[in-house]
Amino acid sequence: MSLAAIELVDVKKTIGKKEIIKGLSFSIPKGEVFGFIGPNGAGKTTTIRMIVGLMKLTDGDILIQGNSIKTNFKQAIREVGAIVENPEMYPFMTGLQNLKHYARMVPGVTNERIHEVVKLIGLEKAINEKVGRYSLGMRQRLGIAQALLHRPSILILDEPTNGLDPAGIREIRQHIRKLATDLNVAIIISSHLLSEIEQMCDRIGVIKNGKLIKIQNVGGETTDNLIHHIEVKPLDKATQLLRDHYQIEPIELDGNLSFRCEKEQVPSIIKSLVENNCAIYQVNVANGTLEDQFFELIGENIIE
Amino acid sequence: MSRMLKLIQNEQAKIYIRKSSWVMYIILAAILIGFVFIQKNFADLNTEYQNDDWRQVLEDKNKKLEKEMKKDEFAAEINPLTIAKNNYYLENDIQPEPYDAWQFTKDAVLMVSSLAGLFTIIIAAGIVANEFNWGTIKLLLIRPISRSSILLSKYISILLFALYTLIFGLIFSWILGAIFFGVNGLNPSIVAETANGFKELAVVPQIFINYGYQLVGLVVMATFAFTISAVFRNGSLAIGVAIFLMMGSSTIVSFFLDKEWAKYILFVHTDLSQYAEGNEPMIEGMTLGFSITVLFVYYVIFMLLSWIVFTKRDVAGQ
Repeated sequence: MSLAAIELVDVKKTIGKKEIIKGLSFSIPKGEVFGFIGPNGAGKTTTIRMIVGLMKLTDGDILIQGNSIKTNFKQAIREVGAIVENPEMYPFMTGLQNLKHYARMVPGVTNERIHEVVKLIGLEKAINEKVGRYSLGMRQRLGIAQALLHRPSILILDEPTNGLDPAGIREIRQHIRKLATDLNVAIIISSHLLSEIEQMCDRIGVIKNGKLIKIQNVGGETTDNLIHHIEVKPLDKATQLLRDHYQIEPIELDGNLSFRCEKEQVPSIIKSLVENNCAIYQVNVANGTLEDQFFELIGENIIE
Repeated sequence: MSRMLKLIQNEQAKIYIRKSSWVMYIILAAILIGFVFIQKNFADLNTEYQNDDWRQVLEDKNKKLEKEMKKDEFAAEINPLTIAKNNYYLENDIQPEPYDAWQFTKDAVLMVSSLAGLFTIIIAAGIVANEFNWGTIKLLLIRPISRSSILLSKYISILLFALYTLIFGLIFSWILGAIFFGVNGLNPSIVAETANGFKELAVVPQIFINYGYQLVGLVVMATFAFTISAVFRNGSLAIGVAIFLMMGSSTIVSFFLDKEWAKYILFVHTDLSQYAEGNEPMIEGMTLGFSITVLFVYYVIFMLLSWIVFTKRDVAGQ
């Protein structure tokens, strides 16, 4: 089936007179892990709340396995497992009681299934303890368990690595990859920390001020066109040179020049800078390409 | 349908898993135990009339009471009632029955129903608002279940809680009564003053009639707290307002009793026992039917308001 697991069609949300989400459209096929990143206040959580039906759409539609969340809520939401913001559970109940509570709300979740999920997320030891005594990492796991109970075809995880230690993050990452590959689940992961989710995503969508400003494949991107920082003196002369010879418009940053160019151009740029008596102290290639692109795209963290 | 039963099971579990709910039952039990000691020491237990010479004992008692009246002003005020009651026994040849579990249960109705009302308000005030406080509302509403069903399951749970609490109070007060006073058969009767003078009344139906009167007010107040909880999503506010109005309503109402619109105030009607035999309605000319109509209109408004707000409003961040 070529049907997208989830499709957002020109989704808009206005609260009061303020347009929070300004027309989001994207779709995610089965088995894909989609990273949804953006600074705080960009509209990630609002979008997620609309996907799961906690907030109504002002305009547009969200189709989950072809069912509209607006007109066919029950069918649509059945396919969704989610954590929205923090994984909040009933603190006075044990982990198992919490899971049973949610299991009763969906048909077909057996006790065996509950134990299967508990085992999957590695919470067997603590499952009979009260959630009030759980650490944030344990609650995060329980949150994922709760989302998986009814075998959803779309999993939505809001900041899933929050509060996890590095080992926990690696484990969650493996779970997520496994779910996507083995069970063909479409997964949406939101985060404001790109570095944490970069490794588990197939695609990343960047949202800023309620608009999706870029969708980027992870791993498949060209590594040639990168940002370079050159510490060079004098700056004006070097800037002029880059402008004239390479049609590059560099940015001055902490006494460095930053610009984007092809990898092949680098030796020739250095050569001509040296030939024109510019002193080069160091040349850096920006690391973590996505991280830089992210900041480049987002610019400063301004909430409109 | 079975889905709804499971939702109710969930809501019940969330109520009874918490210790605070059990504390309510302990408080109710403790207060009833206190009450049974008071009754043991101060109530008319009628033990002196249980022999064959009960007529003689009653006559002696009346003479004693008349003597008291001459000496004591206070006795002069209250004794005629007792004398009249004793005369009723003698004239109709009814032997006074001993104070027993049934009578104690009847006397405890007001206490049990007020406490059950108070506790039900506390539960009702929290049942929606707490989900928002805990943040669990987000996980609750993203299931293939309509918001209306979730709200209904919560409302039914409150009614069940009220019912269980009343039944607990009823049974516990009967057991206490049985232990302290014994059980006088299955259908004892008492002589009580009614609008048409003294009358012999069966106790058991009286218990249920009294509970019935109290139950209406209890349900309306619990619904009121539930509505505030669902609309403002704030449990403390709901508890505060509902309990304040429950306690203070008679004072507040008394300010407005002379106004034309006073008969439309909710709290004029929440105590239906004003229509019980021997009592008078708060505002002259009001009938039981009128009160029930007013209560019903308020009830529908509360339910509609809870439902509209709960189903239509976005669940946004804190």
